[in-house]
Amino acid sequence: MDKVKNVEQLKALQSALSKEAEQAASKKVIIRIAMATCSIASGAKPVLDFFTEEMPRQPLEFIVKSTGCTGLCHSEPTVEVTLPGKAPVMFGKVDVKKAAEIVNDYIKGGKQIEGIVEVSRS
Amino acid sequence: MKANQLKIALRNCGVIDPENIQDYIAREGYLALGSCLAAGSREAVIETIKKSGLRGRGGGGFSTGLKWEFAAKPQSDRKFVVCNADEGDPGAFMDRAVLEGDPHSVLESMAICGYAIGAEDGYIYIRAEYPLAIKRLKTAIAQAEEAGLLGNNIMNTGFNFKISLKYGAGAFVCGEETALIKSMEGHRGEPVSKPPFPASKGYRGKPTNVNNVETFANVAAIINKGADWFASIGTEKSKGTKVFALAGKVKNVGLVEVPMGTTLRSLIYDIGGGILDGKEFQAVQTGGPSGGCLTVKHLDTPIDYESLLAAGSMMGSGGMIVMDEDDCMVAVAQFYLDFTVEESCGKCVPCREGNKALYNILNKITHGKGTMADIDRLKELAVVIKSTSLCGLGQTSPNPVLSTINNFYDDYVQHVVDKKCRAKRCRALIEYWVVSENCIGCGACKRACPAEAISGEPKKVHLIDQEKCIKCGACHQKCKFNAITIK
Repeated sequence: MDKVKNVEQLKALQSALSKEAEQAASKKVIIRIAMATCSIASGAKPVLDFFTEEMPRQPLEFIVKSTGCTGLCHSEPTVEVTLPGKAPVMFGKVDVKKAAEIVNDYIKGGKQIEGIVEVSRS
Repeated sequence: MKANQLKIALRNCGVIDPENIQDYIAREGYLALGSCLAAGSREAVIETIKKSGLRGRGGGGFSTGLKWEFAAKPQSDRKFVVCNADEGDPGAFMDRAVLEGDPHSVLESMAICGYAIGAEDGYIYIRAEYPLAIKRLKTAIAQAEEAGLLGNNIMNTGFNFKISLKYGAGAFVCGEETALIKSMEGHRGEPVSKPPFPASKGYRGKPTNVNNVETFANVAAIINKGADWFASIGTEKSKGTKVFALAGKVKNVGLVEVPMGTTLRSLIYDIGGGILDGKEFQAVQTGGPSGGCLTVKHLDTPIDYESLLAAGSMMGSGGMIVMDEDDCMVAVAQFYLDFTVEESCGKCVPCREGNKALYNILNKITHGKGTMADIDRLKELAVVIKSTSLCGLGQTSPNPVLSTINNFYDDYVQHVVDKKCRAKRCRALIEYWVVSENCIGCGACKRACPAEAISGEPKKVHLIDQEKCIKCGACHQKCKFNAITIK
């Protein structure tokens, strides 16, 4: 990234980046895979690998993001999927098999599938 | 109404990619630093933090703004900002989550602190056992330097601030700020008596401000949203939110952030989902090895610094372990003492010898050899250790003993007088017996017994020789017919 030259430039950059994120959310499928120490220990790495390999094969616009801890130790590995313009949905105890189900049935098929974790959001 | 989480310190955890600075900037990252530098008033920054009511999240609960003011006052050629990431309470991982999930929020807030107190150097003292947090911090520091948001002449304002990492070897006592500074200087991690406080004489003898990871994680949000916003959350004396690592016998173990003033009951039942396997709640341990065990009658206690202290525990850094009816409270006290004995640095006598003596008495009691006089001795000794130890470790280490004696006195008496353990946890106080009406004589227990304590013909009721039994429980695990009972 280029050096930020002054505070005004930072503000402009911030508003451009947040607009970009908003636009992305309106048309792209956003998949967040928790990749904290605890998530990795419970098997998040193969799940992340699956999404990074599988999603480019799909006829969809998407973002796969690895994030930190979601706080849901009881359900790791967790994957949060946000369909364009929809509220985010959190899936728990995701393995590669479940990940394939998320892609095929939830994202592409538009079906309700099991394994959703209730999240207290603020 | 069901209690909800409110995420301030964890606002970006699980949302952004911690290895991408643009993700952080999109969520108002570095704007707080930018606005502080643009406004150009160090005093105003300190005033905002003071007014917000933010208090130390490492457990001490001291006003962060006041701490900054103390470090800002002395004139010195160099000053230091230190982030205490030496997280060591058993079962606690709040700081790790913040550092792994949102490292820039800590870096930005350290720079804000540096600007406010007049420091150009920051250090993060982090456990070497946190390799992923270290990796992400290093990536974040490099990205922030490349973007001109850390380093020399930040955003062309003339302000310089560099951050480096110092690794700890996992000594619990190094979470105490004076021991932490000793360890940073390359000495043994031993505390020194205060005053002088680090604010006047800290790292390399220079004014130093030490704050915990979670404390820093709140700072940028306070600058962005204002002191009044932060002060509107929480209780009269405890503002904002607190992150807890909820562990033990609760359904939803995990990391939660709730407004101060939320009750223990809503945290455990609404957010934690209640006790596992439909068992009865027995106790909740807050404050880690320095805290206490609270019981059913404390469930409606609001979570804030003062209320937890009044209830006989403390806020601590955020470990929260829930226990059910199967946990022996005397054994729990012994577990924490075992930890303290191991982690005492050994510099002062009350902590080094006193805790060992406490442990030995507890060991006597859990082995059925205790007397009523031992319980009194525990109390007396605990009070002496608390009042005469050099640092926070010894001053709080007897808390698990005192709080379990206060809240679970009957359990102690049962161990001492009846030589029984209600929770059937203390091996020396239990016996394994065959339930003759259930035993079919399959011989599984006999084969499993490593002490050859079980005898019996095939298809006939077996018998356990209590003299030979070592109480390993192997027979109990192997039996499929509920024919081994614990008395």
